[in-house]
Amino acid sequence: MTELLLQQLLNGLTQGMAYALVALGLTMIFGVLHVINFAHGEFYMLGGLTAVLVTASAGLPYVVAIALAIVLVGAVAWVVDRIAVAPVLDKRDGPSTVLLATFAVSLLIHQGVLQSWGPTPARVEGIPGAISVGSIVLGHQRLLVLVTGMALLVSIELVLRRTVIGKKIRALAQSAYAAQVVGIDTARVRRTTFIAAAALAGLTGALLSPVTLFTPAMGQHVIINAFVVVVIGGMGSATGAVVCGLALGVLEALASIYLPQEIGTAIIYALLLAALLVRPQGLFGSARA
Amino acid sequence: MRRTVRLISLLAGVAISSMALAQTKEPIKIGVIGPTKTLVGKQGVQGAELAAELINKEGGILGGRPVQLVVYDTNFAPAEGVAAVQRLLTQDEVKIVTGEVSSSVALAAVPVVQAEDAIYIATVPKHPDVTKSGYDKIFRLNSTTAMDAASFDQFLTQTVKPEKVAVIAENSDFGRLTIDNLKKLFGSKVVFAESYGMQQNDFNSMVTNARASGADLVCVAGSNMEQYGNILRSLADLNFQGKRCVMPGILNSQGIKVAGKSAEGAMSADIYLPSMDSEANRKFVSAFEAKYGNGPEKIELLGFESIWIAAKAMDKAGSATDADKIAAAIRETPWETPRGKVTFDTSGQAKSGDLIRLEVREGAMTPIRN
Repeated sequence: MTELLLQQLLNGLTQGMAYALVALGLTMIFGVLHVINFAHGEFYMLGGLTAVLVTASAGLPYVVAIALAIVLVGAVAWVVDRIAVAPVLDKRDGPSTVLLATFAVSLLIHQGVLQSWGPTPARVEGIPGAISVGSIVLGHQRLLVLVTGMALLVSIELVLRRTVIGKKIRALAQSAYAAQVVGIDTARVRRTTFIAAAALAGLTGALLSPVTLFTPAMGQHVIINAFVVVVIGGMGSATGAVVCGLALGVLEALASIYLPQEIGTAIIYALLLAALLVRPQGLFGSARA
Repeated sequence: MRRTVRLISLLAGVAISSMALAQTKEPIKIGVIGPTKTLVGKQGVQGAELAAELINKEGGILGGRPVQLVVYDTNFAPAEGVAAVQRLLTQDEVKIVTGEVSSSVALAAVPVVQAEDAIYIATVPKHPDVTKSGYDKIFRLNSTTAMDAASFDQFLTQTVKPEKVAVIAENSDFGRLTIDNLKKLFGSKVVFAESYGMQQNDFNSMVTNARASGADLVCVAGSNMEQYGNILRSLADLNFQGKRCVMPGILNSQGIKVAGKSAEGAMSADIYLPSMDSEANRKFVSAFEAKYGNGPEKIELLGFESIWIAAKAMDKAGSATDADKIAAAIRETPWETPRGKVTFDTSGQAKSGDLIRLEVREGAMTPIRN
């Protein structure tokens, strides 16, 4: 029984890390730009696609795929920011227009990939092998997801707390007006945040695609859970996204031991709904990215 | 100068009209429907187009008339399917409609075909009701889930003989039917049975529980290759030592590619394998490879069969318009196709003998003896 619990804990942590990393980007964008980025899941998918193209099609090592996923998805995000976010953000009803604009972008990216790549799923060869203790198995790729995820979370926290750009981001999250008054180039900080969050999603896609496979629909699947995590954790709260993401993954895995999977998932979402009714601002309070 | 031009144009005109004369025999149109923008839809159309090409190369049907396909997308939507079939039967004036993957689309198409007194040859749809409308000009080429089960159950109980069975099934009609069927078959030997949503992509938790149940056979019932491929991978990653079977009719080379080495040794069964040893199959496979650069599988075969049988039946009936005669020809003839001899029962369901049992060996579906 202990072994089963431990195994499920490990399974849940990897899944939860994926939720946490995607949700973190989503919540950062919400915290700083005060918009919901509907295209976030597609950034995640593009990261996975990059991994497929680099490893399977071009035959390059997986490490290159990870690096390229960050660069390419960051570049796509720069374009998206230029055409669909920055120009509309400061207009009247900016945030709701951006919501629709990013939704359009997400459809565009998704259909573009369906037209060029097709609906076919693909394998990504990540890091082979596994560590096993008794009947408990942890694949090297899953280990990589956990370790990289932890490292990313810590470094993002450090950047936000210790660096100038991190302080600017936090200032902007607290009050855009006040940030402008003290001379922060708000447009630039917003752009940086958007691109960094997208690159994080791309990196996560490249990390997870060897575990879950690449499919053009992977972005649409992950975004639903990420939204739930963001809302529960508190819109704009980085800590909330990370804690709730990991918790959701682990809870799902542990619940699956005792309950049929679909009922387990339903109960978790019911609990989340209850939490929302009691604490509508989310478990981790208001914006403090 | 002007005269030469006129002469040349006159000559050209004569040449063109005489060339046209050689081909003036009016083509016979056959309708093809399916989700043509998806992989499986495309595969079916490829098979159909190959059949038309081969028939036309052999000189066509009904005294040298070529076969021409009219292909419409149904996009997995019954409404679009109905519109496509209506267009085929009224505007394009086809007498035979073939194709489709989705059972819901096929079921919606049946009354339209009946109203126009036409013929429908369903290729992939597996729902039993497709051939149960009572209208006698509906045919189906694929096997039904019940037919698959009847053949596969025997294999499981007599050859595989598991002590404890775990079932991992998708949350759909097909998945639920499979769980019920295996529970009936194995009773209390089924120690684990769970279904997953159509969007799930990490199966480690589910597989961990299946492993912990102590089963020595895991049966996977899911039609999405990314999902069953991933389940096979999780089983291998978590060192599951027992046997694995994928329910009949699902496994294909793409799914095996997705699962990679984890698919090795997985068992299944199907109505057709590209490696079948017959003259007709070798011809089909080599013609397909020559045209498309990759080998055919079941979906391509079913597309091929639909046009092959439709055209040959018109030829045999001596008419491209008399639906009664054509339907009778389809029903009464034993058809030689790449998968062997195909016959139709009174409901219009195709039969081609027992399923072929297979195992994945070195990344290929290999037939096994019982």
